[in-house]
Amino acid sequence: MKTRIGTQLAKISSYLCLLLASFIALFPVYWTVSTSIKQRDDTFVFPPKFFSFVPTLKNYEAIFNTRGFWQTCLNTVVITLASTLLCVVISTLAAYALARSPRFRGRGSLEVGLVLIRAVPAIVIMVPLFQIISMLGLYDNHLMLIVMYAAVNLPFAVWLMISFVDQIPVALEQSAAVDGARRWQILVYIVLPLILPGMAATTIFVALLAWNEFLIPVMLAGNSAKTLPVFIAGFISTRNLDWGPMAAASALAIVPITILTVVAQRALVSGLSSGAIKG
Amino acid sequence: MSALRSSSRDKSIEVANARLAGILVLPTWLIIITVFALPILGALYLSFRNETLGTFVPARFIGFENYLQALVDPRFWESIWVTLILMVLAIIVQIPLGIGLAVLLHRNLAGTQFFRTVLIIPMLLTPVAVGLMWRFLFDADLGVINWALDQINVHGPNWLGWRWPAIMAVTIVDSWQSIPFVMLIALAGLTGLPKGPREAAAIDGARASQIFFHITLPSLLPIVLVIAMIRIIDCLKMFDLIFILTGKGGPGTATQTLGMLTYNTGFIFFQTSRAAALGVLMVILVAPIYVMWRRATEYAR
Repeated sequence: MKTRIGTQLAKISSYLCLLLASFIALFPVYWTVSTSIKQRDDTFVFPPKFFSFVPTLKNYEAIFNTRGFWQTCLNTVVITLASTLLCVVISTLAAYALARSPRFRGRGSLEVGLVLIRAVPAIVIMVPLFQIISMLGLYDNHLMLIVMYAAVNLPFAVWLMISFVDQIPVALEQSAAVDGARRWQILVYIVLPLILPGMAATTIFVALLAWNEFLIPVMLAGNSAKTLPVFIAGFISTRNLDWGPMAAASALAIVPITILTVVAQRALVSGLSSGAIKG
Repeated sequence: MSALRSSSRDKSIEVANARLAGILVLPTWLIIITVFALPILGALYLSFRNETLGTFVPARFIGFENYLQALVDPRFWESIWVTLILMVLAIIVQIPLGIGLAVLLHRNLAGTQFFRTVLIIPMLLTPVAVGLMWRFLFDADLGVINWALDQINVHGPNWLGWRWPAIMAVTIVDSWQSIPFVMLIALAGLTGLPKGPREAAAIDGARASQIFFHITLPSLLPIVLVIAMIRIIDCLKMFDLIFILTGKGGPGTATQTLGMLTYNTGFIFFQTSRAAALGVLMVILVAPIYVMWRRATEYAR
């Protein structure tokens, strides 16, 4: 009897903790979205208005009419998609090699190289890269950004893909080889179909990282290749903290991610757990 | 039996594999060399010169002067200090809370999937947008946080206007985004633990807290170490958040981490060579962390 009350109490307190944590996790998101649909007068008041305000789309209108906004959106989508594609293809090839071939020339240094890309802060390579890229006339260039994005996300993608390749039984490839299939046939007809779900999951992650990327575009892109995070950051310096449009711009960046998280949560959870801790 | 029969065949497959592997990793090598190795060498080269942006003084080699300048600059030591404080705070705040949440989710109560989904949202959001929304929440006059503190009769500080409150603000926002990561990895670790020892202890009459501290936590330790290393590396890399939340390291230089100092030196004050030297010093700092990380990962396996 006593223990049953104890477990009930433990259950209730667990729920209370989880509810509190969920509230803390979601409140800033709610606050951003609600600020984005508030009138100026409802934003600049104290005490803050949580629910009692008349919604408006004026802030979004202001964002949509900002010079260069649509170009920025297009840039963000194009660079995110192209760099993700590049990154997933390259990482799949490398992951297959690393997962299936225990010894090949340069394997050790390749692994060290990947870990270093992950571990060394990107700002370190930005100083010389900025000079090299300016010299080559590639500053503010979409293609250059696509390659850079793919590069910084490569280690994570490779480790994630290795965990997916590891799940394919090697016997399938061996028996195909015994049956006389050529290497490319094995890769295209056996490995590729089995690995597609893994590639899809990796695509989601890498696209997310690319969408959020800030350091590379803020240093290597000007106006013509500007991306959404840089656009959002621009509010701080240009307008003196105009919270409404700022919240609208932030909401445009985070609402798609929130929806994606809810839709793809199963794939995200398993992928995040397996790809993040390799080294 | 079959293994014996096909062993020579397997070997031929593996040889082909090694050649194939060498080809498959070529694009990865190309990226490592062009985007990483060459720029690192470039940073090394720059760090021994006196190049600045925007002046027309011809640059020349000046030996170790940039390094000496950095080492006698109080701002350098302050930035190291700030970086270390943020790392330590991150570890002591995020790891216990992350593990705590993982333990709660691991109890598999009804609705766990909902909570797990909600709780991972912060780690996936755009850091720039996250920094902005927290900046609004921390606002001294209109911010919700100080309003909430007012309700319990606490006078909130001017969060982003003073040294320690600003450091705390950075830690709070970094924790908000990173605790979900700690939670997820710890949850994966908990799920992988064998149930036997815990059940045996429960049958022997151990209390839940005893089981947790004497059985669960010790077997989780390798994974906790890996999490700690990743968090340390990511604290060293932290950029977007400080850029936005405290305006590139403010107030003054109170939250100027080593990475931010490198950025400000190179891209605000245009002292390219100085920034390159700071970058090289940063790589030197990463080296021992890298070694510890490899150790922790091997230990975890």
